[in-house]
Amino acid sequence: MNASPYYKPAAIEALNRQAVTLLKLFAERFYAREEPSTLQPAALFLDRSGEEIRRRTFTLTDPSGRDLALRPDLTIPIAKRLVEEGRALPARISYNGAVFRHEPQAPEKPVQFFQAGVELFGEPDRAKGDAEILTLAIEALRAAGLKDFTLRMGDLGLFGALVDDLDLPPHWRSRLKRHFWRPGYVETLLDRIGHGAESSRLPADATAIEKLLDSQGEAPAAGRSRAEVIARARAEAAEVLKLDGNVAGAITRLLAISAPIETALAEIRALLKKAGIALDSELAAVEARLMVLKSLGVDPTKIEFNAHFGRSMEYYTGFVFELRTADGKTELAGGGRYDNLLELLGAPKPVTAVGCAIHTETLLAAVAP
Amino acid sequence: MTLTLAIPSKGRLKEKCEALFAGAGLKLEQVNARGYRAAFAGLPGVEVLLLSAGDIAAALLAGDVHLGITGEDLLREAAPEIENRIALIKKLGFGQADVVVAVSNYWIDVSTMADLDDVCAAYAATHKKRLRVATKYANLTRAFFAHNGIADYRIVPSAGATEGALAAGTAEVIVDITTTGATLRDNGLKILDDGVILKSQANLAVSLTAEWDAEARAAAKTLLGKLGADFTTL
Repeated sequence: MNASPYYKPAAIEALNRQAVTLLKLFAERFYAREEPSTLQPAALFLDRSGEEIRRRTFTLTDPSGRDLALRPDLTIPIAKRLVEEGRALPARISYNGAVFRHEPQAPEKPVQFFQAGVELFGEPDRAKGDAEILTLAIEALRAAGLKDFTLRMGDLGLFGALVDDLDLPPHWRSRLKRHFWRPGYVETLLDRIGHGAESSRLPADATAIEKLLDSQGEAPAAGRSRAEVIARARAEAAEVLKLDGNVAGAITRLLAISAPIETALAEIRALLKKAGIALDSELAAVEARLMVLKSLGVDPTKIEFNAHFGRSMEYYTGFVFELRTADGKTELAGGGRYDNLLELLGAPKPVTAVGCAIHTETLLAAVAP
Repeated sequence: MTLTLAIPSKGRLKEKCEALFAGAGLKLEQVNARGYRAAFAGLPGVEVLLLSAGDIAAALLAGDVHLGITGEDLLREAAPEIENRIALIKKLGFGQADVVVAVSNYWIDVSTMADLDDVCAAYAATHKKRLRVATKYANLTRAFFAHNGIADYRIVPSAGATEGALAAGTAEVIVDITTTGATLRDNGLKILDDGVILKSQANLAVSLTAEWDAEARAAAKTLLGKLGADFTTL
C-alpha cells in the first residue's frame, strides 16, 4: 500500500460500484446519504476527541488564520450538524466518503481512505438500535459479495455495570471505566486499591481544607472554581478505599475472558455467580445480539466475545463490534454505541447513538476473485 | 567526505561546548567572519556548524550533519521515535534540566498524574471542553500523557514563557523545562510527584541517517576518541 493512493480506472470504478450497492441498501432501510465537507473546523475534532485522535488528524490553517482539519471520520461532523439543527429523532443517516488519518507508527499506511457507514441517532430502545446496526453491517458486507467473515464483539456496558456495583467513591468508578480499554491498567489500579496504596495526603477536616486553599497566595485558579477544588479535595480526603478481594479478582478475570461467544457467556455467568454479582440485564443484552446474529445465519463459533474489547476509540460507551475477514486478520467494518457523543457536541439532553463504518477498500480487496 | 559536527551557536550551551573541546585539547577556529562555520585547529576533515539548539535535532534527524551536541529534550521532542535515526552516545554533564508537568498550587487536590487524569475527565464533563496543556514539547507530552492514560486534554503550542500561561488564562496545565523549579514556584506552580517526563542534559549524538563514508568514519573516530565517547555504533 502507498501512503498517497492513486486510483486507476478499474480500481475507482470497482470502488464506485461497491459504494452504489452499499448506499442502495442503506437507502432501502431509510438511511439517507449526507455528505459533510472534507475540511472541518479543527476544534470539532480536537476539543472533543482527545489527543489520540488529534495525533492522527491533519490540521491546517487557512489564509485568514482559522484552524481547519481534514475529517478523520464522518460520524462527528454528521452528529454535530444533527445537534445544531435540532433534528427530529430518531434520525437515520448514511455516508460514503474519504477520511484522512495520519499514521505516525506506520508511515506506509494510506493516509486517505474511503469509508461507508450508517448512524442511528435517538432510538430509545437500545437493544433495537444495536440489532438494527449489526444487521445492516452484516447485510452490507454480504451485498458487497462477502461470503465468509468472523466477528469480534464486546460491551463496555458490562464492565460499567460491574464497576457501578463496587463500593468505591464515584471518581474511582469513573477512573476505572475511563481506563477500561487500556490493557493492564485497570488490573494494576484494582491491585493498588486492594493494597491501600491510594491514601490521601489532604487534611480530613473541611475547615483545614479551606485554610489550605487560602494559603496558596496568588496561585492562578487555572479554570477551576473554588467550589470545584474544595469538593474534590474533600472527596479525596474522605475516601476510604477498600475493595473486597473477591470482587476485584472477579473483575480482573472477567476482563481476561476472550472466547467464542457461547463459551464466553458461560464463563462470565460462572464467574459472576461465584462472586455473587448479578448483571442480568447486561448479559441479556449480549444474548439478544447473539440471537440476532443466529437469525442472520452467522455461525456462533465464528463470533469471538472479548470482555475487554472496548476499542481505543475514545467515544464508545456500550456495544462494540468488528467484522473481520474469515482468517480474522483484516478489519472490514467496525462500530458500536456512543451515547455520550451528542451531548459532548452540545445536545441539550442525552441522545442515544449507534453506528458502523465499513472500510470499503479492504472490503473490496476481500471480495476480489 | 568532510565530517560535520553541529554545536549550539550561542549561550551557555556554546560556552560549555568550547570548554569541553578545550579539555580535550581541541581549539575551535572560526572559518567565516559571521561565525556560523568553524574548524578545529590541527584536525583536518572536520567541519563545525554553529546552529540553534533546536535546529541541531532536526539536522541530525534529517541526516544533514554527522554529529551534534544538543539537549536530550530537544532530540526526543523532534520526533516520536528517534532510536532508528539518532544514537545518543555520551551524556556531557551540562545543560541539565527536567521536562515536567506542572499545575497551579491552587489545585490543592492534585499532586499526581492520576489526580490530573481525574481532573481532566471532570473538567471535560463539567465545562464541555478539554483542559488545555501549554507546552513547546507536544510530542513528549503526548507520549507521557498516553502512558499515564490521560486522553481528555488538548495541547496548545507555547513558544516561550510557558510558566505564564495559567495566569494569562491560555492554559490550565503546563509541560515545561526547569532547572531549579524557582520560576515555577514564583508563578504559583508545582511539579506533580510523578510528573517528571525527562531528566535531560546535553548529549553528543550521532546521526544514523547521514551518509557515512570511510573518510567521515575515520574523522569521527579521531574526534570521538579525543572526546572520550564510545563510537562502536558507527
